[in-house]
Amino acid sequence: MSCRQWLSSALRQCRNTFPDSAPGSSSGPALRSRNRAAARSGNINEALQVMVADGLERGGQLSAEEEQQVMVDSQRGLGQHLKDLRNHATTDNYLRQMPRRWRTGDVYAPRDLSPTEMSKWRQGRKPLKDVIDVFGFNPLDNYKNFSLISEFMTPMGRIKHSAETGLRPVNQRKMAKAIRRAVGMGLHPSVHRHPEVLRMSRHSMPVSSIPQSSDSSQSRL
Amino acid sequence: MATRSVSPGGALLRASRMFSLPAPIPAPPDDGAAGNFFSNTATLAFPTHQVITTLNSARKQGDWGLKRPLPLKSTTKSSNPMIRVKAIDTIEQVTDFTSATDHGMTLRKFQELGMPITMRKHGTDSSTSSMSLPEKSVFENQYDFTDIHPDERAEALDRRWKFTGPWLAGMSPGEFNEWLAREVRPKRPQFREFLKKIIASEMHGTLARAALDRGESPPPAIDPTSVTDDQLIDYVRKLRHNNQALYDMVGQFLDLAPLKPPTTAQIGLPSHNTSKVEYREVSNPYAEHGPPITHPSAGISYLRSSMYMENHPIYGPQKQHSAVVARIVRPRRQAQAVAAKLGLAGFIVDTPLGDTAANSKSASKEIYDRIDPTIVGGAKVWVQPQKARVDSKGRVILTVSEASAEATLVAQELLGNATCLGAPRGENELSRREMTAGSLRARYRAAAAPTMSSAQDYGLLQ
Repeated sequence: MSCRQWLSSALRQCRNTFPDSAPGSSSGPALRSRNRAAARSGNINEALQVMVADGLERGGQLSAEEEQQVMVDSQRGLGQHLKDLRNHATTDNYLRQMPRRWRTGDVYAPRDLSPTEMSKWRQGRKPLKDVIDVFGFNPLDNYKNFSLISEFMTPMGRIKHSAETGLRPVNQRKMAKAIRRAVGMGLHPSVHRHPEVLRMSRHSMPVSSIPQSSDSSQSRL
Repeated sequence: MATRSVSPGGALLRASRMFSLPAPIPAPPDDGAAGNFFSNTATLAFPTHQVITTLNSARKQGDWGLKRPLPLKSTTKSSNPMIRVKAIDTIEQVTDFTSATDHGMTLRKFQELGMPITMRKHGTDSSTSSMSLPEKSVFENQYDFTDIHPDERAEALDRRWKFTGPWLAGMSPGEFNEWLAREVRPKRPQFREFLKKIIASEMHGTLARAALDRGESPPPAIDPTSVTDDQLIDYVRKLRHNNQALYDMVGQFLDLAPLKPPTTAQIGLPSHNTSKVEYREVSNPYAEHGPPITHPSAGISYLRSSMYMENHPIYGPQKQHSAVVARIVRPRRQAQAVAAKLGLAGFIVDTPLGDTAANSKSASKEIYDRIDPTIVGGAKVWVQPQKARVDSKGRVILTVSEASAEATLVAQELLGNATCLGAPRGENELSRREMTAGSLRARYRAAAAPTMSSAQDYGLLQ
């Protein structure tokens, strides 16, 4: 239905542009019409490309009638995709301002939905419980556990402060000793994360951002 | 300043509810499920302080029945006077109070739903229980224990909700080790005494049975102190090979909360060993997810059942209870496979399971997918509350289903937003009515007692 609508509008446009010639005899508008038809049937990316190509093809600025036509177009056929995109963008923007992850059984008052309250959920805090006490293990026995060691080191290889780790002083000292021991024995790098941790973190990265080395022998971690 | 000594009667009065506010209960345990992200001013999952209110005439004078009048500027504006007092008196000589409308209004809204608190039935898997039929009320005589004699604890093991010992499945290894060292090890001598008592009663049982077979009168009871250490050691050796009996005795001695027996996969032993390990079926409703931290109703609802029909003055008895509006607090994100969260009566609830609008992807259900700022007051959907329960951490878990079209229409008609069979109200009548805050609130307030309702209660006949 929208296609027929557009065709009729294209016809009207052709008549306006070439009042004395037969409709469809000129190549320019026909080409454009083909492009736009593709835009309508294809997906949104194609449609956007076609829009850009349209603009390039025209070269000059739009006449008042053409501008009106573009507006009508965007409101009708192409409009649905653009509207969806706009809705998604709006939703994303609002959700970015609502960082709280609600859990079933939470109680909320209107104040909890307010921006002031929501912005508090953006900031982290240090763990309230000493994880080593909770799990009841000795860090010194775990110096070979590189994923544990990496948790308590910064990406640049420094030992995290107890303000960040939330360990009590005894456990913080033990953990620091385990890290120094692992580094000193050459089991753990001292200036970056452990290669195995880096390798696992690559799984969650987009493919394009992973650097590809030209030499395959160098890519072994 | 030295404290004046008070008479026993005075001390009793001072500690009574009449003269003192109850001590605050501990805040909900933080299980770290939200990660490190946290707000210290967010509304807690349950109130920790008593909510107090006052009459309007007294409120105008700042009289809340406390030590000193409260400031009028901050207490007289609210239409729902509710405060919680953090400290009656502080060193600065002020009363520390804040508004308590968050929990107070939540309670009122929950009570408008008319939901009884139910209990998870034992044996129902968590994945299937959400689809099952109505569950048992927590106030069933069989399960509602508030006070129990120490000697009857063992018999009521499958029905109790309160235990002095911990629920072992909920303890982390560190906590368990500390508990062993601090609580359990000092009790070794007492446990030996406990075992001796059991040995004595078992020996007496066998002797009495033999005497009964011979037709003689039963022998006198055996004194537990007469049980020798060798007998005790033999008994303990036998007990070590019987997991279930050993756990029963330890559990009875320490009053441990019952555990759901592990599956063969969870035991982690080879199959020829697991055949030797036998566990008794545990039928306590709290064995799988831990006993609740409060009474299982949490005092939020004292209703026994929701198995009644609501009556409509024009349409008669209704198949379903009245539908209610739920806010879409967070839309679903299909890219991250995060389901939408609804807010019902101030509680966050999950969207209905199964083949419902919340789970369909069609374009007409995009209200679940996006935040539309043009909707005044936010996106809302009609739902049917099904059941409510309080989980082991004291949070109220509501279950909702999709409201049927008819129930939605009837509920909307009660609000004056739709007409089904009756004639629409005259325009002049609507315009004549003053739209004050009070009349709006009265319009949106549900009928107090649905079973004894008249047409006026539903706002249909004027």
